[in-house]
Amino acid sequence: MPEKLTNGIKAPKTLPFEFVPQEAETAVLNNPHAKATTLVDDVLDAMEASFGTAVLERVVYAGERTVRISTDSLLEICTWLKETQGFTYLADLAGIDRFTEEDRYEVFYNLVNMTKGKRLRVVIRIDEESMTAPTLCDIFPAANWNEREAWDMFGLRFEGHPDLRRMFMPEDFEYHPLRKEFPLLGVPGSMALPPQVPTGELTQDPFPAAHGSKTPWSFEEVESEDDV
Amino acid sequence: MDQRPLGVLRKLNLRMTFSPMSIINNTNFSETLKFWPRHNEAIYRRLESKHSWVENGGDGAAGDPLENEMILNIGPQHPATHGVLRAVVKLDGETIQGCVLDIGYLHRGVEKIAENKTYQEFMPYTDRMDYLSPYSNNVAWCLAVEKLAGIEVPDRAQWIRMMMSEIARISSHLIWMGVGLMDAGAVSMFLWTFQAREDIYEIFDEVAGARLTVSHSRIGGVATDLNAAGINLITKFAADFPAVLAGWEKLLNRNRIWIDRNVGIGHLSAEDVVRMGMTGPNLRGSGVEHDIRRFEPYLKYNDVDFIIPIRTEGDALARYFVRLDEMKESIKIINQCLDKLKTLQGPVRANDAKKSSSSKNEVFYSMEGLIHDFMYTDTGVAPPKGAASYHAIEAPKGELGFYLQSDGTGNPWRARMNSPSFTNLQALETMMEGGVMGDMVILIGTIDPVLGEADK
Repeated sequence: MPEKLTNGIKAPKTLPFEFVPQEAETAVLNNPHAKATTLVDDVLDAMEASFGTAVLERVVYAGERTVRISTDSLLEICTWLKETQGFTYLADLAGIDRFTEEDRYEVFYNLVNMTKGKRLRVVIRIDEESMTAPTLCDIFPAANWNEREAWDMFGLRFEGHPDLRRMFMPEDFEYHPLRKEFPLLGVPGSMALPPQVPTGELTQDPFPAAHGSKTPWSFEEVESEDDV
Repeated sequence: MDQRPLGVLRKLNLRMTFSPMSIINNTNFSETLKFWPRHNEAIYRRLESKHSWVENGGDGAAGDPLENEMILNIGPQHPATHGVLRAVVKLDGETIQGCVLDIGYLHRGVEKIAENKTYQEFMPYTDRMDYLSPYSNNVAWCLAVEKLAGIEVPDRAQWIRMMMSEIARISSHLIWMGVGLMDAGAVSMFLWTFQAREDIYEIFDEVAGARLTVSHSRIGGVATDLNAAGINLITKFAADFPAVLAGWEKLLNRNRIWIDRNVGIGHLSAEDVVRMGMTGPNLRGSGVEHDIRRFEPYLKYNDVDFIIPIRTEGDALARYFVRLDEMKESIKIINQCLDKLKTLQGPVRANDAKKSSSSKNEVFYSMEGLIHDFMYTDTGVAPPKGAASYHAIEAPKGELGFYLQSDGTGNPWRARMNSPSFTNLQALETMMEGGVMGDMVILIGTIDPVLGEADK
């Protein structure tokens, strides 16, 4: 049943919008959510002046500055950003799977200068051949868990990381689920799941009931060691 | 076969005469443990101690556990760990010598799910991340998408979002308070904060149609405008709550037990919190003036009068006072929003069918509206190819940000969630080290983690 019209407003005869493909530029210019904190061109100019060819690319979108640097000079540039530019706070760090033949993975670092109110994103690219990046744990201890997460989700190894264990998945799991080729439904049998009864065997099937397995009633269960 | 790792190793320990370190080395985890053997081995090795819960004296006899080191496994199923947090601690008597946190028991892969949903479809999933303040998460997600696609939001919707986010902040802090005090032994506080939360549930029920998983925010605005009943409930809550809070303050601020259990516990200096990347009240409790509402103002936070409470002590008590004062400031903001909404009329959703779902009037009464509705449900917002942006809000627990990358389709190519609980939990290992076991539950409470968000 149609919704009752309120306040006597009638449905418009001609609608004030038309369906046209979106222009890529509209979102770039005059973004209503752009922030003053991301205007860091002076920092990027200084970075280019000091490091020259290590700065590979500068991208501006929605007022945000992203700078891509070479992986080898990551530590050098981050130390410089922290010590001379005041970017002392690492807000975020994560991997990205670009799913391209060259330089498949990306790692971005979201750095904040709290006193001057600046935010900057630094990006490095990692090839599938190497899969390693230098760790930032020595400069920003906050990077510790985020790098573990990137290792867990993408299989990126961070050289020199003090404790590179998986973050969310158990060590027994052999895949890296945020890679694009990992199926959304998961890989059946890739992870041991709890037994259906305390004395039972581990199951590899996430949906045992759908495949004919029946959980016994409690009075049918075999007595375990603990019950005796 | 015994499934409990500690039970197995205790049995082994009684029989063996070699030094405790070799218990780990000589244990074949894949034989003794049925479940995730490699994972547990990695955790126990991480503690790199004399890996035993009862260190033996060398002649095979077990030593006194109070005078020796032991490993204690707390969680993931434990009422004081606020969800499914697992902590493995190494104890010397009652002192915590080392701590390893194990998270991921609530990992659902929301970032992977987001890549396979349209932007609007994913919004209800954000309710389930920080499930103590769902409204803030909805707003955080919608703002991130709006920044990526350059969508302007009508003023009235922004004020509604801001007001409801502040109510969500109070509801989240109420849980922190009630559960934190229950951990310290004050069970009646838990019931009282839930009474106040019940009022907030009623507000959400009236405004959004759901008590907990509200899903009220939409890309480009909010789902529905406030009705008179909703405004009355909010007005009543904003009028009554300060007195309730004052009553609790009377009980707690000079309460010997509460003060003694919190003062000097989990101390972090200003340098520490910045170094470890902590966020939210944990950052401000150590004297760092950083709040996204001031740092990069979103919604209408530039237009309201409020202060950011800061404490410099850096202990659990300071964080208690910061959160308490934040609730009072939230009430101030809510009152200003109510005043503003009295005069500010207008639409609550962007009038652009490619970027925001069109109103039901259009959908039901025009063919174009129906087509737009279909297209919006099927594909939804499609930000330009190659666009990437990050938008953060100050959620009750700290900086909640989404980094989104678009490939020009209706699904994000990469949706990265920067969740405050994950960021804050990282420092808990350091905080616990050197503390005593009895303070552990207070420390977990003072961090205020939500595992739904930390585990993603």
